Amino acid sequence: MDILTFMQQMVNGFSLGSMYALIAIGYTMVYGVLRLINFAHGDIMMVGAFLGYTFMAVFDLPFSVTVMLSVTISALLGMFMDKIAYKPLREAPKISLLITAIGISFFLENAFTVFLGGVPRAFPVPAYMENIFNVAGVTFSVSSIMVPIVTLVLLLGILYVLYRTKYGMAIRALSFDIKTVNLMGIDANTIIALVFGLGSGLAAVGGIFWAVNYPSVEPMMGVLVGLKAFAAAVVGGIGSVTGAVLGGFIIGFTEVVVIAFWPEMGGYKDAFAFIFLIFVLLFKPTGIMGEDLEKSRF
Amino acid sequence: MKKVISLAVASALTCGMAFAKEIKIGAVMPMSGPLAAYGQVCNLGLELANKLQPKLKNGDTVKIVLVDNKGDKVETATATTRLISSDKVVAILGALTSTNTAQTIAIADKKKVPVIASVATNDKLTAKRTFANRVCFTDSFQGEVVANYAKEQGYKTAVVVVDQAQVYSLGLAKAFQKAFKANGGKIVKKIKVTSGDKDFKAVVSQIKNLNPDFMFLPLYHPEASMISRQSKQLGLVKPMFSGDGVANQTFIDLGGESVEGYMFTDFFDSTNPPSKTSADFVAFHEKETGNKEMNSFTALGADTYNVLIDAMNRCEDPTDSICINEQIKMTKDFDGVSGKISINKEGNATRSAVIKEIRNGKAGFKATVNP
Repeated sequence: MDILTFMQQMVNGFSLGSMYALIAIGYTMVYGVLRLINFAHGDIMMVGAFLGYTFMAVFDLPFSVTVMLSVTISALLGMFMDKIAYKPLREAPKISLLITAIGISFFLENAFTVFLGGVPRAFPVPAYMENIFNVAGVTFSVSSIMVPIVTLVLLLGILYVLYRTKYGMAIRALSFDIKTVNLMGIDANTIIALVFGLGSGLAAVGGIFWAVNYPSVEPMMGVLVGLKAFAAAVVGGIGSVTGAVLGGFIIGFTEVVVIAFWPEMGGYKDAFAFIFLIFVLLFKPTGIMGEDLEKSRF
Repeated sequence: MKKVISLAVASALTCGMAFAKEIKIGAVMPMSGPLAAYGQVCNLGLELANKLQPKLKNGDTVKIVLVDNKGDKVETATATTRLISSDKVVAILGALTSTNTAQTIAIADKKKVPVIASVATNDKLTAKRTFANRVCFTDSFQGEVVANYAKEQGYKTAVVVVDQAQVYSLGLAKAFQKAFKANGGKIVKKIKVTSGDKDFKAVVSQIKNLNPDFMFLPLYHPEASMISRQSKQLGLVKPMFSGDGVANQTFIDLGGESVEGYMFTDFFDSTNPPSKTSADFVAFHEKETGNKEMNSFTALGADTYNVLIDAMNRCEDPTDSICINEQIKMTKDFDGVSGKISINKEGNATRSAVIKEIRNGKAGFKATVNP
């Protein structure tokens, strides 16, 4: 393989990985606070993409307004989900929460299939997103460089919230001990809702960018992406936001590298992503950036 | 007096039942899930055909029992078993894709219930199965059509992108490879993908590096449309050709501008109806749906129903599955919606294919190829 193709594949991996990263952040934050793997997270991404589709194709709103609206509504949906499904189970065993999460995931997928049908719909990609650049023979589309940039900006934003604001401090405190935090005069439920809101908002950004890059939206689109983002969160070290982003890039690159070096094995790229997950779990169960699972600090 | 009345009522009821018997036939279709776009148009064909011809010659009413298999193998198997054991259907139509139809056939064959596949083109589907039939052509024919076209255009090298999770894709790729090599062509690389993938930039970059004359993509529309879009994004401009797996409007909607010039093989073109029966059905379709254009899958869906009714009419007892199956295999030059259909002893149909090219967001007719 020549250097040009190699560079092109790296660009492809970077763009794919950053989408996994956006979604992985949500997994990791909810896990950090509640020790819950929110399996409905991939479907929140789907909801975000569908909202984006609705605002753009039906109401004909500009892209920037669409993103803001979808993110806000998805964040509210995340908070609502926490309120009706997870909050009543705060004292219940963790396994009940996990089962509820899977239940919500199925509910969202099937509700969307019933109301919107299972046929994929074409996402109206704004024309400027499909503009193509050519830098020294390597081809980029605007959307494929926008995603990594947006991901990195959002990562910095999340890190800022976590380490420089009062709320961030509360979130970090919550990840140590919910009961004690309540005694300190912080309303744990508000903070948990905030975490769900942040995570779901990021998932919606991920969903819209996913739909921009691969312009079809359908109710099952979040399933595999959600699983891979989950793998990314674990590889990076679940509970660590930076780790989630790193994990997202690793999973994205793994997929691309498999196709680039062994095209015959290309069909197994998903398997490779998960084999990577198994290896990480075998040799460093806490993930690359993860600390002791009991004391995760983001 | 009371006795006489009740006797009269009872006999009237029994007679009535004897006259208007209801016969159930099963349909397994992906009405939701990734293949819903095909399932819904194909089922439309069944419904329309049923509306036109709801009764058998002897006056029995035919009722279609539809089960959604969500495009999934396991769901297909469950649906088939349910139709046979609890709904007691006399025959099963569809299951649509080859992978799922194989499931239906495996179960129905053991229970001696005839199956007519609408668009399942995999060669092996009907082999060693007594109760398997189809109204579409096979992949070996479809592959040959594409390979001959490539030869005519002077394409020497090809890249094949195959979906390793679909029997349809694997079979069609194999058929094309064989015919293309026999024509003196060279397959530069066969790249495997899996249905459900969305990101093909790595695959596209790989193909760009290989620089073939021609790309054959025996895939379904979700994957094929994404490959086409990402090819455009990465500046890969090569002639692309698919099988009937992309023969629907959803493919064009998803692919947008990038599928201009894209070519595929299909069974039927509603702008060139091959017979009066066909033209009448297209008109009926327009009356019912308000849509002038009719998908080829709708035509084939209607034909599975029509061929079945034709076979049932030729049986003394229209619920006798073994007779129905024999009669299906006796179908000769049947005047179907999608053209003339003959079904041989193996249950395979002999019929023509059409080549279509997408121009200005519409699939346009290019040529008819006879077997």
